[in-house]
Amino acid sequence: MLYLPLLFIFTAAGVAAAFWLVPRQRTWPMPRVAALTAAAPLAAFISLLRLVPAITRGETLVWRIEWVHELNLAFSLFVDGLSLLFALIVSGIGVLVLVYAGYYFQGDKQNHARFLTWLLLFMGCMLGLVLAGDVITLFIFWEGTSITSFLLVAYKSKDEAARRGGLQALLITGGGGIALLAGLLLVTHVAGSSDFGVILQSGAALRSSSLYPAMVLLVALGAFTKSAQAPAHIWLPRAMTAPTPASAFLHSATMVKAGVFLLARLNPTLGGTDLWFYLLTSVGLITMLTGAYLGLKQHDLKALLAYSTISQLGVMVAMIGQGVEIAYKALVISVLAHALYKSALFMVAGIVDHETGTRDLRRLGGLRTTMPISFVVAAVAGLSMAGLPPLFGFLAKETLLATTTHPGLPQWLNFVSAGIAVLAGALMLAQAGLLVWDTFLGRPRDATIRAHEAPAGMWLAPAIPAGLSLLLGLAPEPQIVVQALAKAAAAAYGDKVKVSLALWTGLNVPLLLSIVAISLGLAIFAARGQVRGWLLHNGEGWSWQRVYEGGLVAVDRLAFWATRLQNGYLRRYLGVMLGTLLLLLLAAVMAGQTPLLTLDRLLVLPRFDFAGELALLRVLGLVMVVGTALATLVLKRDLAAIIALSALGLGVALLMALEPAPDVALVQVVVDILSTVILVLAITRLPRAERHRAQNLTFAQSRGGLLRDGLIAGGLGAVVALITLSLLSTRPRVSAVTPFYAANAKPLTGARDIVGAIVVDFRGFDTLIEISVFALAGLGVYTLLRYAAKTANDRVANPPPAQARWLSTRGIGRQPTSAFVQGLAYVMLPLAMMIALTHIIYGHDQPGDGFTAGVIISLAVAFWYVVFGYEQTKQRLSWLKPRPLIGAGITLALVQAFASWWVNAAFFSPLDAGARLGLPLPYGFTLSASLVFEVAICLTVLGSASLVLDTLGHPADFEKD
Amino acid sequence: MELLTALAVGALFGIAIFQILRRNVIRSVIGLILLGNAINLFLLSAGVYNGTVAAYTTLAGPYSDALPQALVLTAIVISMGALALTLALLIIVSARYKTSDLDDITGLRY
Repeated sequence: MLYLPLLFIFTAAGVAAAFWLVPRQRTWPMPRVAALTAAAPLAAFISLLRLVPAITRGETLVWRIEWVHELNLAFSLFVDGLSLLFALIVSGIGVLVLVYAGYYFQGDKQNHARFLTWLLLFMGCMLGLVLAGDVITLFIFWEGTSITSFLLVAYKSKDEAARRGGLQALLITGGGGIALLAGLLLVTHVAGSSDFGVILQSGAALRSSSLYPAMVLLVALGAFTKSAQAPAHIWLPRAMTAPTPASAFLHSATMVKAGVFLLARLNPTLGGTDLWFYLLTSVGLITMLTGAYLGLKQHDLKALLAYSTISQLGVMVAMIGQGVEIAYKALVISVLAHALYKSALFMVAGIVDHETGTRDLRRLGGLRTTMPISFVVAAVAGLSMAGLPPLFGFLAKETLLATTTHPGLPQWLNFVSAGIAVLAGALMLAQAGLLVWDTFLGRPRDATIRAHEAPAGMWLAPAIPAGLSLLLGLAPEPQIVVQALAKAAAAAYGDKVKVSLALWTGLNVPLLLSIVAISLGLAIFAARGQVRGWLLHNGEGWSWQRVYEGGLVAVDRLAFWATRLQNGYLRRYLGVMLGTLLLLLLAAVMAGQTPLLTLDRLLVLPRFDFAGELALLRVLGLVMVVGTALATLVLKRDLAAIIALSALGLGVALLMALEPAPDVALVQVVVDILSTVILVLAITRLPRAERHRAQNLTFAQSRGGLLRDGLIAGGLGAVVALITLSLLSTRPRVSAVTPFYAANAKPLTGARDIVGAIVVDFRGFDTLIEISVFALAGLGVYTLLRYAAKTANDRVANPPPAQARWLSTRGIGRQPTSAFVQGLAYVMLPLAMMIALTHIIYGHDQPGDGFTAGVIISLAVAFWYVVFGYEQTKQRLSWLKPRPLIGAGITLALVQAFASWWVNAAFFSPLDAGARLGLPLPYGFTLSASLVFEVAICLTVLGSASLVLDTLGHPADFEKD
Repeated sequence: MELLTALAVGALFGIAIFQILRRNVIRSVIGLILLGNAINLFLLSAGVYNGTVAAYTTLAGPYSDALPQALVLTAIVISMGALALTLALLIIVSARYKTSDLDDITGLRY
């Protein structure tokens, strides 16, 4: 039941969401909502506590459910000492913070249930992160914490600083998250599994992999940004714009510990190398010093706390890198001690802010008389932070100093790290002094501040962790705590770790160093006025924050320049795309990626083998195609170019017929003619003056522009010619697919025409989609010109058809047509229908199919539009209703598809009803499902094509007589 | 013969691209249709058989490859639908911008 804690918390997030999403629930007072939802982390805490005995026995618990089986991905949870320590901290402090948040927002007119929702979502993600048993699960929760923390930091969204702070946190931790993902994927790749159980066993393989440096650097980058290690620490002080309950939770005990947790989790498998050791030690020590030093110049209580947190995070990271047993004892004690005192101090800072209206140290002071309880709480937590006995923080500092002087480490490092630890410890003490002394003791600096004690619910929350700091220091080593911490340290170390919580370990080097640190700290604190003045005076100048801000400005500038490139000329966009395509193709060819430009192929002389009596015809077809293509280019008048284009289509049809591909050639002919009609109809709808103006623009371009377009076109043409040549001359003569169709066309579908069999039977589903697309194209034309244009009040909008009783018989463009041509039109329509019917019936055995049939009828209809004009055609062909035809066609196709499903238990399967029922049918006639499908295709094509003709054939307003 | 076919397809393709890049919208539509034809010929050339008879089970002899033919057949019909839709868009656009010159349509300018 490892998933229960997660379930509780995410459910509570949903409940909290109801308090701001459901209008009726908005009136609940915040403390009650908070107390209600705090039940969830409490339940989670208890259910996690119940796991403690199993963990101290040395078990690890795993729960997993399959997620994506094919990728071997599972959503899995994994609990060992390390996860349990962090999970208990997350859920335990979560309870306190929620209760605290309820009182923090009490009395505010706004509804802050939204804040509780984000907080609970964050809590769930954080808990998921520490309990994750799979790197992918971990990463998802990791990103979840980044996003929810953005929402929390930028919660006061009307405040610009809050928005900036949130963005900065998101950019830095999110950027690190990407690196982390890459690193984790490398780990997964080398370990062969994304499961932590496997990864933790494959340390040797990971460390000897050539990818090891990359994975360490990437994972560390993710962890360092999350845990605010220098120089990525800059986001944490700015994130103090978050409401204090969020800071108390995210920036003391949870979010910023995620990186520490991950490094500790992976330490047994990635650690133990020089790279790991120096990377973590150097970054950790620098961060430790940076935080301690920068914190001393802050005036804001929360900023001070943020910098001291940075310093402590540096301690933890450095400890993970050490690789000696005692370091992991120091790590777990630091994690727990810091979580306890820092969350308490944050909450006290919130109380001070709440009751006095300021967090500025220059205005605070002397609050002990008005806020005695808060003072006691702050004092206890502050003493722990300062590392003074008998508090738990003292123990943390002692073990840290013991680690830095450990004989297992290089000696020069002993000096460096012990020196840094002493200095940082002294500065921390001074910071703690600033926090507590200058807030609560001394004289009030600002007489306008009228403070009073906070409600019990508010001070109780920090009192509990502060009390625990004291209790853990004083109590005679509670065995259950010792064992749990030992198991956590063991999980981070990869071996057994002995933990004791005794404060007095005799007179030894760490104690001496501790005394030095305390004395130095007291000295700095005593001289704090001078020290802070000096720091503030000299500290302004270069900082990482400026680098970050400079980076943002640079990105903005880049975006500005990039958008300036948008000149709006569509042709140039297209030119750039095609040119890029050409360059890519050329690069591929040059790199030898494609076997196109091999010398032997280029040097082969063209062979004019006119084998076969049709070869001459083929040459004729090619000449015709190229000639007409050139004609479309050079002919000045658009209409002439369109005629040339039509001729080109016929040339292509000739080439297809010579392939020999009779079905394709047939469709090509009829489609070519219909396309020409549609094209002509369409251009008549463009105003004549515009058309004439545009007509002269074909080569109206600068010489450079023409050259550029020519180069792009010529280059792409050459590449396509090369590819075609290689396709034609290296035909493999073996196909993996076609023989199946050839062999099974007759037995399976009853068709002699293999192409037809493929279109309507084997790949019938494709064809169904295709006629749907065609139908949509027709409907699209109709919608665009009849509705969109009408609503936009464009002049191209079609008015309703004229209702005049007598209509002149005038063809397209209001030209009169001769009686002979009109007679021809009368004859052609029924004739076309007869031909279409024949195509449908015999299409399975002979050239022709439903497409051809549909287009042939449409051609006859188009002829009517040309000869009789729009109004008369509409009146005389009143039976031709395009949209119902489309509907009928598609419905029929679907009915056929489902009918064959019913019979054969397979969608769109071939079904020869004639043969099945043993009907006596004339030669060449099969009563099959595909016959029905052909009819459906014909209806759809006819419907869509006549819809297009109807819409485009409508005389535009400006051509009315 | 292969060389001639390849050159023709290449020429068709090149001319099509050049036409698409013209200012006159009608020419670019012509270019699109040309491109469709060039691609159909190209697809046919991707067939693996150098057949001499059409792909009918009743005929004897080496078939031409039926598969690309079926694909091209579909492509021809679809390209007619696409042409109609393109023309409708073109009519709307040229009505709204009151021009048939592509360089007058610069709504994407920054």
